[in-house]
Amino acid sequence: MSGRNPTYTNPKPCKHLADYKLKHGLDGYNSLQKSLKTTPNGRTAMNRDQSKIPRCSFCSGYEGRLYFCLICSSVSCFSSLELNHAFLHSQSVKGHEIAVDMERAELFCCVCCDQVYDPDFDKAVMCKQIMEMPCNNNVVDVSIESSNKRRKVAPKKTALDLKNSRDLVMRLRRESNSCFLWGLRGLNNLGSTCFMNSVLQALLHAPPLRNYFLTEQHSRESCRKSSFDGLCLRCEIATLFSAFFSGDRAPYSPARFLYSWWKHSADLASYEQQDAHEFFISLLDRIHERGEQARPSNKDNGDCHCITHRVFSGVLRSDVTCTTCGFTSTTYDPCVDISLDLDPRNGCAMEVADGFIKQSETKDMSTLVGCLDLFTRPEKLGSDQKLYCQHCQVRRDSLKQMSIRRLPLVLCFHIKRFEHSPIRKMSRKINRYLQFPFTLDMTPYLSSSIVRNRFGNRIFAFESDEADISTEFDVFAVVTHSGKLESGHYVTYLRLKNQWYKCDDAWITQVSEGVVRASQGYLIYYVQKILYHKASEDMLAQPISPHRDSFLSTSVCC
Amino acid sequence: MSAPNDDNASAHSQLSSHFFAGLLDSIIVDVASECHRIARLGLDRNLEEEEEELRLSAQARVTVSDPSNSGEANNKHVVDIFGQTHPAIANEIFECMNCGQSIMAGRFAPHLEKCMGKGRKARLKSTRSSKAVQNRYSQGSPISTYSPYSNSNNMYRIANGTSGPTGEEYADGTLEEK
Repeated sequence: MSGRNPTYTNPKPCKHLADYKLKHGLDGYNSLQKSLKTTPNGRTAMNRDQSKIPRCSFCSGYEGRLYFCLICSSVSCFSSLELNHAFLHSQSVKGHEIAVDMERAELFCCVCCDQVYDPDFDKAVMCKQIMEMPCNNNVVDVSIESSNKRRKVAPKKTALDLKNSRDLVMRLRRESNSCFLWGLRGLNNLGSTCFMNSVLQALLHAPPLRNYFLTEQHSRESCRKSSFDGLCLRCEIATLFSAFFSGDRAPYSPARFLYSWWKHSADLASYEQQDAHEFFISLLDRIHERGEQARPSNKDNGDCHCITHRVFSGVLRSDVTCTTCGFTSTTYDPCVDISLDLDPRNGCAMEVADGFIKQSETKDMSTLVGCLDLFTRPEKLGSDQKLYCQHCQVRRDSLKQMSIRRLPLVLCFHIKRFEHSPIRKMSRKINRYLQFPFTLDMTPYLSSSIVRNRFGNRIFAFESDEADISTEFDVFAVVTHSGKLESGHYVTYLRLKNQWYKCDDAWITQVSEGVVRASQGYLIYYVQKILYHKASEDMLAQPISPHRDSFLSTSVCC
Repeated sequence: MSAPNDDNASAHSQLSSHFFAGLLDSIIVDVASECHRIARLGLDRNLEEEEEELRLSAQARVTVSDPSNSGEANNKHVVDIFGQTHPAIANEIFECMNCGQSIMAGRFAPHLEKCMGKGRKARLKSTRSSKAVQNRYSQGSPISTYSPYSNSNNMYRIANGTSGPTGEEYADGTLEEK
């Protein structure tokens, strides 16, 4: 039942554990179950006898670490290497080598003097835990059920047919006389439109989006007929793509695009510096809306099949746990980006003197990983935010924890640098440097990892492990903001074939990797290292994961 | 109650130290056990990679802040990678798709704002009179949820009706007059 767990490495048992298993099988584990007790925050301990403190059978002591023998149920203690009664027990009675750490319900080998692991033991612990938990089953999914769910998710990906688009795009590239830095082109500033230019540059170089538009999956001919006012925002974007990948090098004026966008977003249409993130969200929204006229689709939970959702949409999971009884209520919400609060710097609050960063201070800065840790950390909801617990039937103190249920193909991180204080009626910008990696592994932030961690990282099928989506991402675009809140400037750094280019409106220049690393990221775009292709006919096929360069820059000229 | 003498006090503090040490040990083993499991099951993060990224970033910051490095030239007189130079304000000229006027790229947005009747000033004006305008111009509009100034058909009508509009007049005057 607890099938394959691709994310665990199954640890090899020590000789003593292996012998124990051969001789006693699951007997010890099963009879242990009645003595296990779980606290609301997911920690399991042995709670054998409520009326007595467990004492060591050798010294009657109750201090140090207590170990419960799986064979004879005697308790022995470990205070130090000299006072190791657990070891004594294993020596005094033959074969009594495996015990359980009473405080943590972990297997312990008294001879190796080390913690050991057995999937069967973890399963026994988890089964007890599940039974005891206040009745909700959405936290722990049965593995069979979850693998079925996973299969249903698969077919959607076929529309971004990797192989076909690759071929078509290669042809387009050859046809556009210039292969050199294909797709790189400046954007004229039409009057405080750098916020728009910066986001457009990032989108124009998002691999799945680029493939989609260049292979004309949004057909401009058939579209013009169907849209009511002859202005389809997707057509405008398709126009942008073909202009950018045409080989023409003169900076492009996205005037028609601006006109089209303003027509569709009355509220945001004004000549003034705007927020790039707001533009990004509004644009995705508009493209999504427009698409629905042609193809009505299910809006819920990221099942929408419009191009923007196929590329950017992920699913976030929110768990709210009652701290009294442990009852957890889970909700899922789709998202097209992840907004992160800057994590506070560790260590001293001193500002680092210009340019001289000592070794010990490299950790004293905000990092993207730190922001993600903050995002997924269990947060104690204030006493004024007591939520109604269905199990306790009253309002209780709760813990809230976010995690990522499903990762998108392109991950956009929005760093919340603009703080708006309604009390002081002031807004300010946080200029603090944020370190971000060029390669990012999102595994620790997945719901499967977060939930598993909450239950002590037991070897058990917790969530449908998203084996068909890679968790490794590569950065490809960074939108930076420099200057003050009211009068700043947006610039985008793009990564093409491992070389970085600065896109400052009409000016495209080459920059070193270091410049990008040291820049003040505001919107950071990552794309999946490996893009999967799944045959729609064969639902049971294993995912083919060719180690392709997602930047489509391999076997072509230059 | 008898006054605590030194012996009692030291025994007392010894006892508290003892229990504190016990609690501390318990917590340390707790953390160690957790990390042990994470490491053994292969659930730990790739710390080497993370540290390498941190190191590269720290190095980059030092290099960039070093004044002897030319860094990025922020002035607009730089030559781009294609060997081109561009003026500070984009001077490409094209026709406004709303009114047909010839506009310079770098001034297109402010022009368009007034031309389309959008922007703060225009918006404030039109919300005041929006109800009246809606009644007059909303017939035949296929999408009723659109506010009048974003319906292109109506706009073309307005734009064509006036002679050579400057942005201001169009936004402030003509809508109300009709």
